[in-house]
Amino acid sequence: MDGIELEIMWSNLISIVSEQAQALQRIAFSPIVREAGDLATALFDADARMVAQAVTGTPGHINSLGAAAAQLVKVVPPEQLVPGDVLITNDPWLSAGHFFDITVLTPIFRGDTLIGYAGSTIHHTDIGGYGIGAGARDIHEEGLWIPVMKLYEGGEPNETLHAIIRRNVRTPDAIFGDLAAQVSSGKMGGERLNAMCDRYGLDDIQQLSHEIISRSEDATRADIRKLPGGTFHGETTFDVPGGDLITLKTAVTIDNNAGDITIDFEGSSGPSPHGINVVMAYTHAYATFAIRSMLNPDLPNNFGSLSPIKVEAPEECIINAQYPSPCNARHVVGMYVPFPILKALAQVVPDRVLAEGSGAVWTIQIQGRDEAGKPFTSSMFNYSGGMGARATKPGLSATCYPTGVAAVPVEVLEASIPIEFTCKELVAGTGGAGAQAGGDGQKIGFKMRTGQEWLLNAIPSRLNTQPEGLDGGEPGAQGAFLINGEPSLEAKKRAMGAEDQVIMQTPGGGGYGAAN
Amino acid sequence: MTKYALAVDIGGTFTDVVLISSDNQGWTDKTLTTHHDLLEGFFRATDLVLGRAGITLDQVGDVVTHATTVVTNVLIERKGPPTAMIVTEGFRDVLYIRDEHRYDMFDPQIEYAEPLITRDLTWGVDERAYADGSVGKGVDAKAVHAIAGELKAKGISSVAVCLLNSYRNPANERAVRDALNEAAPEIFVTLSSDVAPQMREYLRASTAALNAYTVPLAKPYLDALIARMQDGGLDSEPLIMLSNGGVVGARVAGTYPVRMIESGPAAGALVAGYIARQYGLDNLISFDMGGTTAKACLIQDGEPLVVGDFEVDRRYRFKPGSGMPITVPSIDMIEIGAGGGSIARVDALGLLKVGPDSAGSNPGPACYGRGGVQPCVTDADVVLGILDPDNFLGGDMKLDRSASEKAVNTLAEALDVSMQDAAYGIFSVVGESMAAAARAHATDRGVNYRGMPLLAFGGAGPVHACYVAEQLDSNQVIYPPMASVLSAYGTLVTPVRLDLARGGLSRLGDLDWDSTSVLIDDMLSEGESALLEAGLPKDSIAFGFGADLRYFGQQNEVTITLDADPRDAKNIDDLRAKFEAGYETLYGVRLDDMDVEVVTWRVTAHGGDTNRTAVADVASDPTNPKGSRPVYLGQSNADVPVYDRKALAVGQEVAGPVIVEERETTAFILPGWTFTVHQDGSLIANRDA
Repeated sequence: MDGIELEIMWSNLISIVSEQAQALQRIAFSPIVREAGDLATALFDADARMVAQAVTGTPGHINSLGAAAAQLVKVVPPEQLVPGDVLITNDPWLSAGHFFDITVLTPIFRGDTLIGYAGSTIHHTDIGGYGIGAGARDIHEEGLWIPVMKLYEGGEPNETLHAIIRRNVRTPDAIFGDLAAQVSSGKMGGERLNAMCDRYGLDDIQQLSHEIISRSEDATRADIRKLPGGTFHGETTFDVPGGDLITLKTAVTIDNNAGDITIDFEGSSGPSPHGINVVMAYTHAYATFAIRSMLNPDLPNNFGSLSPIKVEAPEECIINAQYPSPCNARHVVGMYVPFPILKALAQVVPDRVLAEGSGAVWTIQIQGRDEAGKPFTSSMFNYSGGMGARATKPGLSATCYPTGVAAVPVEVLEASIPIEFTCKELVAGTGGAGAQAGGDGQKIGFKMRTGQEWLLNAIPSRLNTQPEGLDGGEPGAQGAFLINGEPSLEAKKRAMGAEDQVIMQTPGGGGYGAAN
Repeated sequence: MTKYALAVDIGGTFTDVVLISSDNQGWTDKTLTTHHDLLEGFFRATDLVLGRAGITLDQVGDVVTHATTVVTNVLIERKGPPTAMIVTEGFRDVLYIRDEHRYDMFDPQIEYAEPLITRDLTWGVDERAYADGSVGKGVDAKAVHAIAGELKAKGISSVAVCLLNSYRNPANERAVRDALNEAAPEIFVTLSSDVAPQMREYLRASTAALNAYTVPLAKPYLDALIARMQDGGLDSEPLIMLSNGGVVGARVAGTYPVRMIESGPAAGALVAGYIARQYGLDNLISFDMGGTTAKACLIQDGEPLVVGDFEVDRRYRFKPGSGMPITVPSIDMIEIGAGGGSIARVDALGLLKVGPDSAGSNPGPACYGRGGVQPCVTDADVVLGILDPDNFLGGDMKLDRSASEKAVNTLAEALDVSMQDAAYGIFSVVGESMAAAARAHATDRGVNYRGMPLLAFGGAGPVHACYVAEQLDSNQVIYPPMASVLSAYGTLVTPVRLDLARGGLSRLGDLDWDSTSVLIDDMLSEGESALLEAGLPKDSIAFGFGADLRYFGQQNEVTITLDADPRDAKNIDDLRAKFEAGYETLYGVRLDDMDVEVVTWRVTAHGGDTNRTAVADVASDPTNPKGSRPVYLGQSNADVPVYDRKALAVGQEVAGPVIVEERETTAFILPGWTFTVHQDGSLIANRDA
């Protein structure tokens, strides 16, 4: 295949996965999916290697999904799959690190031959158990665990599994609406891939996949070979709900002969008793993402571009969670995984890295009863602090790196639950000063309009530690989480009074270079 | 007495004009757009075409229609005066915070369009409305008067007002407007609940800001147009093309410039609809390829699709998310960075990529000889032999073939293929990327694109349309006459029309017909008065009805068209059935157990169909080719006959491969296709059975 033929088919694959993602986002019930874009779709070849992924989503989902297909196929091997089958799991260790994220994988047949898989991962509204938050004491308190199973068998629903899911979640209609969307998206992906094979007279996509993957791998290795070899160290410290300080340490080893990079997290903090432990798949997702976004963001993200990057962590470590550690709010640590890597890379490619940013998005969920006494559970919603400054550009305000999820609009939330926002404005000067300033954080206030007590699950971070500046830049401001004006550090769900008011001020990003 | 209809389309490069008489004669012309004063080019073009017809402005008699890029120019060049905004206290950064989304996850260097209204010109007022429509706190007029004082002191002439939940209850926004009018009647006020009465504060604020920012320039522009028309002896008000494909009077248009941003492209899509209806085609894909971008639009049942929102002024590598969102009805178009000036390159994977970077018109493709050295689509067309370097723009602009060859050769070396294969690679990759975008666009809307005819226009459209058609499994390509002024023509075949929408969130089971009725009456009267003002007789005004519905718990709506005023039958089951049918088409599933809610009611006010056509200038006797040249078709060179379009006769049939040249463009019909000359002057190419 020459570069012309390959380009034409490759752009076809990309449009297939992007269409799937768009359709999923539009019909999702889960507000975090439809408003914030917390989803991933990808196409895999017959060997379950990720060939193409949609340009939407979050690193945690995309790269976890990329690795998940091979895991699922280990449990249910190809010879046990027939047309009309659909696989499902929310196993944290096999997919995206907590029960809320359900991965659906649809085998694609061309005639009788399995030629690939269409996969999607989305964040569902509920999965039973504890709900959003870090308060569960082990993984089983966190909700329903769906092992790798067939959700559909030869086109027929697996009624047993459907019944179990329906009885074990708080919002079954929304869950099944979203699962239906995932299933129909997988089916559509299969139809499109077959139509593409018809158009170009292909029996399968193995040669196409091989070309894309090997060229992506070669290009990635070539980019790595341009870097100076050696081992570079980085370290970041931040506080999490409950007030614990977490340190992530990294040794990034660049082997510029082989053209690969190894990221080792030896020396990082140990496991947490709270639900903030991160499974290796999720750590791998954010660590590889950090390298890809600094090294060659224009290259497609697939099995080939990811394979030269290796990630290691000791077993007794917060970012290599072992059963039965709770990991529901794993993002609050997982989204910090890129920062020690960026600090190591600052010694290698200073023009491409960012100063430390606000870190994880702050997530909130509210449960209560409305004025008429009817119970409600909000979806998870999230807000960003400031991004770290870039070498030649300031950091973006109220915008997160590494994730890029959108915030749910104030009006959408106010229309879905009885909440009233009192403010949502930037806080000038919270971004660290510098030759390039860090992005500013924002101040968000809210209270309930129910006249009743309510429950608050909030997952802020960086309330006591500032994001560092880079190369002489000033640090960004730490965040503040206030209930009725008083700081609150609780890791668990909080019982709130009817009139209680919450003010959240997200952290600013660090500056880059000394200010003049 | 003969009447004349005049149409002017001001685009980024050219100002096009069409004049059609009531006895079906047509005249066209074009001049360069005069960016320092658009009306200068408007009247220069008008004088030219009137001169050709031998009449003066006061003899026009029929309508004057106008599509214009004025609003887009104000935006892209940021020419608007300092503009202010008033929001709910505590939410002053709504334009800066956006939706917090980082639109390219991998690229940490992304940028966003600077907000049109800065924070220091944004004021908060202490007020509150809720999502259920209740008002927690009204507006204190004195506080607004104080703001008005500051606005006057700063010399502000236009202000946007966007208060939380005003899509549900506009009372507080209206109170702010009334108070501003009392204290500073000279300041123009845009209410978000007027321009975009829909949920999501950032989208509404962005739309209101854009309107407020452009109104100080758009309104005087249209007022000056009206005045100069009157000076010329023409009393009727010019009609302005809107983004949604409707036309309204210039005065109404001047109040809502945000509705006319996609004025020109919408006109192009409308011609496609018109031609589809003329030819009895239900469906059609319009394919408009110019210098920097290509646009496609789906025509269904003779009408272009309309969407509720789009994005303008993308600032970072043409990427979605890097511009400003606006939520007003607009023709549903895809635009991709693939035009004659799009640059071809080899990426890190060794793949041939074309666009979105463009050499534009300066330096332009290598063959322009203005210093461009990168290979562009036009260079490939020259190397392949499709374009004659000595006959570009009728020979007025010589192209440098050797420069094209040199540029394409650098690419060929990187790809390790022959120069001709590299050129054919560019030709096929740009065709495929257009086809892929059209496929995605169609599938996204539940439309089966296979077999839909293509309508080819724009400078580069007729060169590439046949190849794109093959990629879309299409069997027919239509090359209309007047292809280079087609958008101007489009404004003349459009009935006067205004689309209106009002938010009316309610579950279908709980629908309150009394309050719904107030919304619909409100839209009927707004629509009727706008059309009366545009000079339509009252008995010619008709109304169409529609609604946006969704499953309760989802956030994306499906727009349905209703056969009649929904208040006549008050049939909830029918609303649900129509919604579910539409939903299933789009997403392939129905969710029987879910509640359905209505989000928005829609009313379209429109005048009767127009019937303006010009008889094309077509020869009476079949002609022979004026020559031939070798064209590389991917495997080998073929000697391809070249025809002069003007010399073709009605009914003449020519089998591909064949080239048809006219001044502004060249049609290239592939082997396996045969075109016939239609009596209206179109070439209709069909794929051989």
